[in-house]
Amino acid sequence: MVKLEDLKKEAKKILEEGKVKYIIGYERSINGSMPVPAFIKNPEDVEKLIWDPTCVYNLTRFLVDEKRRKAREKKPDTRPVGIVVKGCDSRAVVVLLQEKFINREDVYILGVSCENTGVVDEKKLAEKLKGKRIDKLEFDEKDNFIITSDSEKLKIPAQDILAERCLECRANFPVIFDELFGEKVERKLDKPFNSLEKIESLSKEERWAFWKEQLDKCIRCYACRSVCPMCYCDECVVDTISFAVTADTNAEEKAQRIKWIEKSPDSSENFVYHMVRAIHLAGRCIDCGECERACPLGIPLRFLNKKLEKEAKELFDYDVGFDPEKPSLVSSFKDEDPEDFIR
Amino acid sequence: MEKILTKKALPQWVKKLESYRIYAPLKNGDLWNYEVIDQPEDINLDYLNTVLSPKKLIFPQRETFLEFSTSNDGNLEIKEVLPEENPSVIFGVRPCDAKALTLTDKVFGGEFEDLYYWKRRNQAILVGLACNTPPSPNCFCLSVNGSPHSKEGLDILMTDLGDRYYVESLTEKGNKLINLAKKLFEEPKAKDKKDLEKVHLDSEKKIKRQIKEIKKIPPKLKGMFDSPFWDEEAMSCIRCGVCTYLCPTCHCFDISDEVTSSSPLEGKRVRTWDTCQFPDFTMHSSGHNPRPDKASRLRQRILHKFQYFVEKYKNYQCTGCGRCISKCPVGIDIIEVLDKVRDYEE
Repeated sequence: MVKLEDLKKEAKKILEEGKVKYIIGYERSINGSMPVPAFIKNPEDVEKLIWDPTCVYNLTRFLVDEKRRKAREKKPDTRPVGIVVKGCDSRAVVVLLQEKFINREDVYILGVSCENTGVVDEKKLAEKLKGKRIDKLEFDEKDNFIITSDSEKLKIPAQDILAERCLECRANFPVIFDELFGEKVERKLDKPFNSLEKIESLSKEERWAFWKEQLDKCIRCYACRSVCPMCYCDECVVDTISFAVTADTNAEEKAQRIKWIEKSPDSSENFVYHMVRAIHLAGRCIDCGECERACPLGIPLRFLNKKLEKEAKELFDYDVGFDPEKPSLVSSFKDEDPEDFIR
Repeated sequence: MEKILTKKALPQWVKKLESYRIYAPLKNGDLWNYEVIDQPEDINLDYLNTVLSPKKLIFPQRETFLEFSTSNDGNLEIKEVLPEENPSVIFGVRPCDAKALTLTDKVFGGEFEDLYYWKRRNQAILVGLACNTPPSPNCFCLSVNGSPHSKEGLDILMTDLGDRYYVESLTEKGNKLINLAKKLFEEPKAKDKKDLEKVHLDSEKKIKRQIKEIKKIPPKLKGMFDSPFWDEEAMSCIRCGVCTYLCPTCHCFDISDEVTSSSPLEGKRVRTWDTCQFPDFTMHSSGHNPRPDKASRLRQRILHKFQYFVEKYKNYQCTGCGRCISKCPVGIDIIEVLDKVRDYEE
């Protein structure tokens, strides 16, 4: 079991030694529902740190911000950033390393093992809590979550509120770390793509109807993109920020500025947006489920990315985010790669 | 006008309103959203609150201003598009969301009247539902001049009294709706009035969250524009548009020409929602961006709601619905931010 005290001790130590600039971790939010990301600079603030199955966020997304911030500084602090990662999150670190977006010395990884459990599904948990605040959430090692709320204890079977992705998890402990908290518990996974079966069994027409209904809900708040650690493009296809107009830019040039996707949230534009994002994540998505969690309209975005993860596995025998030394899927090829889709 | 309507009679009332388009919260999956009600029986006011506020019905995320096309002789033809005639009744509007519309009224009214906004606004009749229990654990309407049974902006306020609704008509439009189904309504008795009072009083006590000493915040913000506070607060912000798109009072938009055919030239000029949280919102054509980072964008959201709007319209541009708190993917809590602002010392 992860001992929170050990995590705090290590965090305090590396801050005191000046080994890291700051630590990205989790703290309990003021309203007591879900935790919030914590950015800890002072050793005495490590007391705020928490670790439990409500720590759903994939904090590696903030490594993207950190890189940008560093690039803007005149004399950047080159020390690494400490970061708390779960197994799934650690796979995101691996992808960022493979793609050379970050260097190994940029991060000091405090890995936490989910062991035999995972993280909760925010929405399922909220339904059970009915507005009550969480004071403490523990896993009893017997497949139940014990929630302490207003000095009342609530026992909920883990399966009932566990995030869907945790039921198909392929990395319940970090694959890369500087310090590991908790045990490397091997877990058998018979059907890593189980959730896809239902949707794969639908006919083409049914699938079209399903996705049309889902994607028509999209309000293009871009929470899915914004929360994703892999969506680190300097300019996203939906933002037109680099079209500079000078005194010499003529009307024709302005008119011919390429607009890939219109702002109108209608079916065609929403499909293009989500397809572009899904394709850009093929062989890169590590199934942290953040896009689906962040979506205010409940669009099941995980299906899209999971499907592409499956394609990568079946067509190219590629497992995303396990080996930082391996080239990424799209930047490598093998002689035995299938080519029957090239016509 | 004050009346009593039994819960059983609600679909019958809706049926009598067949000359109107009826909108009400409908459940799809786990979420409630405003949809058109085709069958009166489908109306179900047993909901907490909708993900998107009824703002989307008055100020849709996308609307067409004009259509352009090239005629045979090569000239550009332009056709104005106005909102359709659509007398509608919006059921189950929460008091915070109705109050929010009175705030957007100020923005789209005044010196320049926004034809599109007002066409929809004037055609809609708002039937509110008081919140007997807070729809969200993050509700804080009492802190921002609201209440769980506020009548502001509504034509009718209904209050759930268990087996019946207490129906208060507040405008001529409201009276008209009741008069279309007169027989369904009864006169309230002394007990009904007593029950109503109790429910309203209790509902206020159930609101857990508040912004303390809110009056201190607008003047305090005035001196914090250049504060490093915003960098700290924005650390976890991911720059998405959830807070502003779900906000019942946020009203910023963009206008763009969407070309559907380049030869011959054809397309539409459309207005779509936009948000101060996106990088291109303040992007100048020179390439300069006066709000280049997330700290300046978070600051804009707070300052617009709690300083600029207060200076201009003497009200907070926030009605305490709690959506931005509950749905923020990283748990940014506007109450917490404002608490910190109030207590901030450089």
